[in-house]
Amino acid sequence: MNNTMWQRLFGFRHAFDDRVTIVLTVTAVVLLSVTPLLIFITARKTTAEKRRELWDRYRSWIWLSLCILIPILAGAFWTILAVATLSLLSYREYARITGLFRERTISFIVVIGILMITFAELDNWYRLFVALFPLTVALVAIGGLIPDQPKGYIQRVGLGVLGFALFGSALGNLGNIANDWNYRPILLLIIFAVELNDIFAYICGHLFGHRKFVPNTSPNKTVGGALGAIILTTPLVAVIAHFIWSDSALDNPICLAGLGIIVSIVGQFGDLMLSAIKRDLGLKDTAKLIPGHGGLLDRFDSLILVAPAVFHYVNYFVEFGAGQPQRIFSGL
Amino acid sequence: MEPWQLQPAGDTGLTPAERFRSVRRESGLLESLAQQTCFSSLRIYFAIAHRLSIAGCEKLPEHGPFVLAANHCSHLDALVLGAALRPRHRERTFPIAAGDVFFQTVAVSVFSATVLNALPMWRKNCGPHALAELRRKLQEEKAIFIIFPEGGRTRTGSMMPFKHGLGMLVAETNVPVVPCSLIGTFDALPPNRKIPRPVRIKLIIGDPLDFPSTANDRSGWSQIAKSVESSVRRLAAQ
Repeated sequence: MNNTMWQRLFGFRHAFDDRVTIVLTVTAVVLLSVTPLLIFITARKTTAEKRRELWDRYRSWIWLSLCILIPILAGAFWTILAVATLSLLSYREYARITGLFRERTISFIVVIGILMITFAELDNWYRLFVALFPLTVALVAIGGLIPDQPKGYIQRVGLGVLGFALFGSALGNLGNIANDWNYRPILLLIIFAVELNDIFAYICGHLFGHRKFVPNTSPNKTVGGALGAIILTTPLVAVIAHFIWSDSALDNPICLAGLGIIVSIVGQFGDLMLSAIKRDLGLKDTAKLIPGHGGLLDRFDSLILVAPAVFHYVNYFVEFGAGQPQRIFSGL
Repeated sequence: MEPWQLQPAGDTGLTPAERFRSVRRESGLLESLAQQTCFSSLRIYFAIAHRLSIAGCEKLPEHGPFVLAANHCSHLDALVLGAALRPRHRERTFPIAAGDVFFQTVAVSVFSATVLNALPMWRKNCGPHALAELRRKLQEEKAIFIIFPEGGRTRTGSMMPFKHGLGMLVAETNVPVVPCSLIGTFDALPPNRKIPRPVRIKLIIGDPLDFPSTANDRSGWSQIAKSVESSVRRLAAQ
C-alpha cells in the first residue's frame, strides 16, 4: 500500500486540506451551538411536550453529527465502514417493518451483498461494485426458492431485491465517493444539502404551502414547500460545488445548477418514497432508535436516492477516484 | 398472486431497551445466529463437562407450539433444555426467565434477550395480562416455551409444587406440554455456587400432554399444574 493510498484511507491529518470541509464543519458546529438558544427563544410559548421533543431532537443531532463528521474527517476507511453500518442498520429497519426479516435466507444474502459492496468500496474495485447488483439479485431469486413455497415468492424476492437496491447498491455509492482523494467536502456537501433541503421544504411549506403535493402519500407536503426547497437548495449546492470542483468540466453554472436541482428533487422523492412505504404498512415511524426522530430511515430517507444520482451525475463530468490505485487488497 | 402476507415485526415501535424486555420481541438474523452459536456451544460443553444424556428425545413434537415444563434446580436448567432441542427448533424457543434476575439491568437484558432469547416473567406483579400475552405468542407464533412451573429454583434439591401459571398458558388449547425431568443440575450448580461442578446431568423427556377440554379457569389451571407435576415426578423416579 503506497503512501497516497494510506493517507486517503487513514490520513486524518489531511482532514481540513480543503477549505469547503472547514467551512461545512464550522457551519455544523456553529449551528449546533446556536440551536439551544433558538430553542429557548422560540419554544417558550409551546407546550412542555413539544419543548421536550425539540430538546430530544437537538441531543440526537449532536450524536448524529459526531457519527457523520468523525469518520469522514478520520479517513476513507472509516467513512466506508460508517456507510456500511448505515446500510446494514437501514436494511435491518426496512426488513423489520416489511416482515422480510423472517425470510432468513433472503436476509442473509442481502447482508452478504452489503458486506461485499463494502469490500468492493474498500478495495476500490468498481467493476466488482457494479457486478454485485445483478449477482445479488440472482442469488436472492435463488434463495427465495429454498423454502420450496411458491406462495409469496414474488413478494419475498421483490422485497429482498428492493432492500439490496436501496441500502446496498444505492447507499453504497457514498462509499464509492470515498475513493476520491478529495471525498471529504463532497460527502459533507451531499449530507449537508440533503438535510438542509428537508428543512427548507418544511419552512417553505409552512410559509407558502397551500396546495397539497401528494396528499395520499404524505399529507404535510405542499407544492410551495417542494418548490421553495428547490429554489433555496439549488444555489446553495451550486456555490459549494463550484469551490469543490473548480476548473473542472462540472464547473459551469448550468451543470452546477443541475447538481443542485438533482439533490433537491431526488432528495424530496427519497423522503416521499419512505412515506409511501410507511403508509403502505400503516406505520408512523420505521423504529424508535433516535429520540425525537424515529428510526434511521426516518432521518436518512432523503439520502438513499441522492447518493447514486449525485455519484453518476458528477462521475459523468469528473471521474471519481481518478489516479487512485484500484484493487488495493484483492490485487496484492 | 396471494394477498400480502408479510407483517411488520411484533416489536415495531418499541425503543431498543423496551424491545429487549418485551414479550412482543422477534429475533433478527444476528440474534438468531447468536442463539444458535450459544446453544450449539452449550451442547458441546454439556456433553464434555457434564456427560449430558438425553432420554426420550423422540417424544418432542416435530414443530411448535409446545411447552417444555421441567423441575428447576439451577441456572443450568434452561441452558440444558435449550441445548437439547434440535437446531431448527431453537429459533422459536423462548426460556421464560425471572424478570427480576434476567431483565433487571439493560446489560443483562441485552444478554438474556440476544443470546438466550429469554422472555421476562415479573414474579411480583405478574398479572393475567402478562400471561395472556405469552399465551397469544405461544399460539400465534408457533413458539416453544421453556417453563419452570415451580416459580423459582429449589434451595433444598427437592421439587416444589407447581404453580398454575402453566395452566393459564395451555388450558383449552391443543398446545402440548412436554414434561421433562432434570437430574444432576442441582449438584452441578447449587444456589450457593457460581461456577458449575463437572457433575453428570441427565434429561428425561416424557410423553406430551394436552389439555383442549380442560377449563380455562382457576380449577382447570390447578388441574393442569397437578397433572404436569405428577408426570415430572414420575419421570424423576424412573
